[in-house]
Amino acid sequence: MKFDVVIIGGGLAGMTAATELQSSGLRCAVVAEGLSLHNASRSGFKAAGGTLLQGDRVISGRIENGRLTGVFTEKLGDTVLEADNFILASGKYFSRGLVADMDKVYEPLFGLDVQYEPDRSKWFDRSFAADQPFLDFGVKTEGLLALKDGVPVANLYPVGEVLAGISSASGDATVQIRNSALAAVKAIRRN
Amino acid sequence: MQEKNISANNFEQCQKCSLCETVCPVMANNPEYGGPKRSGPDGERYRLKNGIFYDDSLKYCLNCKRCEVACPSGVRIADLIQQARIDFNRRPPKLRDMMLASTDQMGPVASAFAPIVNFSLGLAPVKGLLDVTIGLDHRRTLPKYSSETFVRWFNKHAAASQDSFRKHVSYYHGCYANYNYPQLAKDFVAVMNAFGYGVHLIERERCCGVAKIANGMIEAATRDAKINMAAFRKSISAGRDIITVSTTCTMTLLEEYPELLKVDNGDVKAHINLVEQFLYKAIASGEVKPVWKEGWKARAAYHCPCHQERLGLGIFTTELLKMIPGMELIELESNCCGIAGTYGFKKENFKVSQMIGRPLFDEIAAVAPEFVACECETCKWQIEMSTGVAVKNPVSILADALDLQKTSELNSL
Repeated sequence: MKFDVVIIGGGLAGMTAATELQSSGLRCAVVAEGLSLHNASRSGFKAAGGTLLQGDRVISGRIENGRLTGVFTEKLGDTVLEADNFILASGKYFSRGLVADMDKVYEPLFGLDVQYEPDRSKWFDRSFAADQPFLDFGVKTEGLLALKDGVPVANLYPVGEVLAGISSASGDATVQIRNSALAAVKAIRRN
Repeated sequence: MQEKNISANNFEQCQKCSLCETVCPVMANNPEYGGPKRSGPDGERYRLKNGIFYDDSLKYCLNCKRCEVACPSGVRIADLIQQARIDFNRRPPKLRDMMLASTDQMGPVASAFAPIVNFSLGLAPVKGLLDVTIGLDHRRTLPKYSSETFVRWFNKHAAASQDSFRKHVSYYHGCYANYNYPQLAKDFVAVMNAFGYGVHLIERERCCGVAKIANGMIEAATRDAKINMAAFRKSISAGRDIITVSTTCTMTLLEEYPELLKVDNGDVKAHINLVEQFLYKAIASGEVKPVWKEGWKARAAYHCPCHQERLGLGIFTTELLKMIPGMELIELESNCCGIAGTYGFKKENFKVSQMIGRPLFDEIAAVAPEFVACECETCKWQIEMSTGVAVKNPVSILADALDLQKTSELNSL
């Protein structure tokens, strides 16, 4: 199944990007596990003609010659979602955009490069109210593109909380998340 | 000591976020119901300790599974509730519930006397009597029975020619297409034949059992499940995949058999295909080629049934329907129609059933489509009764939009 853009994740970042892109005439599909998206943004996207795979989850992807060519989901079986561009808006730990185990933090879908503190004792601050470093961990980028083994994936744009440096705990998180989504939208529209 | 810290239903993963409660159609309309979180993972903690904590209000769950679609932690909430009903509800099913649930026992009788049955079930005094005596709500339009079942028609008119095709599939028609609406099954045969597939029946096909599960007839459902599984295996080993048309039957065969009836289907699952998924893939890969009728036009609204939401295969239906030139397809908001199989037929549920469906009915009235496209038979009853707008199965829409003759010629090459 071929789309112009496949968006992985249906939260604020994913729906912002998806609705903008769909409204500008690109054919978009959002894979939104759970109900992380608001009714209003979901309706807006569907009204613009977008395809919503609600309750489904991306489980793996196909990276060939430095490009992501397709993703597989839990429910579609052997049907691949193909696209020219992909947006990764999978969020942080709760939505499993990032996974933390005892000694590392990793991005589970594509094995993207993640910026984190190797010393586990420095992941968190003992004072509950302090800024928690683990909330700043996230996927590394170069010119908006995700990095894998130090090389950019030419058509994969991480946006929102999955990114390093964006933390929902910061005061202007909503603005940062939206801006990261809009930056990716701009880049995709350009090419 | 407990060896694993995660149970089969995954209830330990519940974070109490309450998203399930925001999508539960019953909770929004029936204050008697505690909602999916309380009835599911919360209640489970108590029930594991002692069955006396089983709460009778679990009967209000209509098993639409919207809670499971919403859950960000993958908890099988509706399964927890169904399982608790199976394990702890000791009340024997009422006569009415057994009649509603025994679709493949009632079907042959009702079909044999179809003209009388259809006529009587339409009469106000009869409906009043059923309401008072067994609790079948008198405001409900009851489904019609066909005097010739699909199977009888198939054996008389279609079976003989099926071996002449190059490719073959087995068709799980379900009770509805057999007893109530054979036209759907006939449309299925016409479409599959046009695409070059011979259609074969499942040996001794039994009801999928969804209504029996919902009405507490677990032993009968398990017996049927085993018969179906044995027949499926036979068909698969003969190289014929199983094609289904009903989304609820499909969900039952794929999910409820192993989860609730403990009937293993691991080796069969990959060979059970919902017809829209099968046809979308066949057309998209170029395996079959459709020829559409010149000038065919329709403006339709798509309602995704709850169990299709749970299966997550609705995208195949919408993408398939969008392939038809001249099809303007409006996707309706994700809402439950309220009938939930046998649930809405019961007197005690009728009011809530109609309240649940209200947002959907209002949206259909606002969109004012020529017809509603929907895969589910009970949604069809509910939407047609409550809005007056016709509901068509995607298979019937294809049968109408395809030039069957030319498609057949192109695919027999």
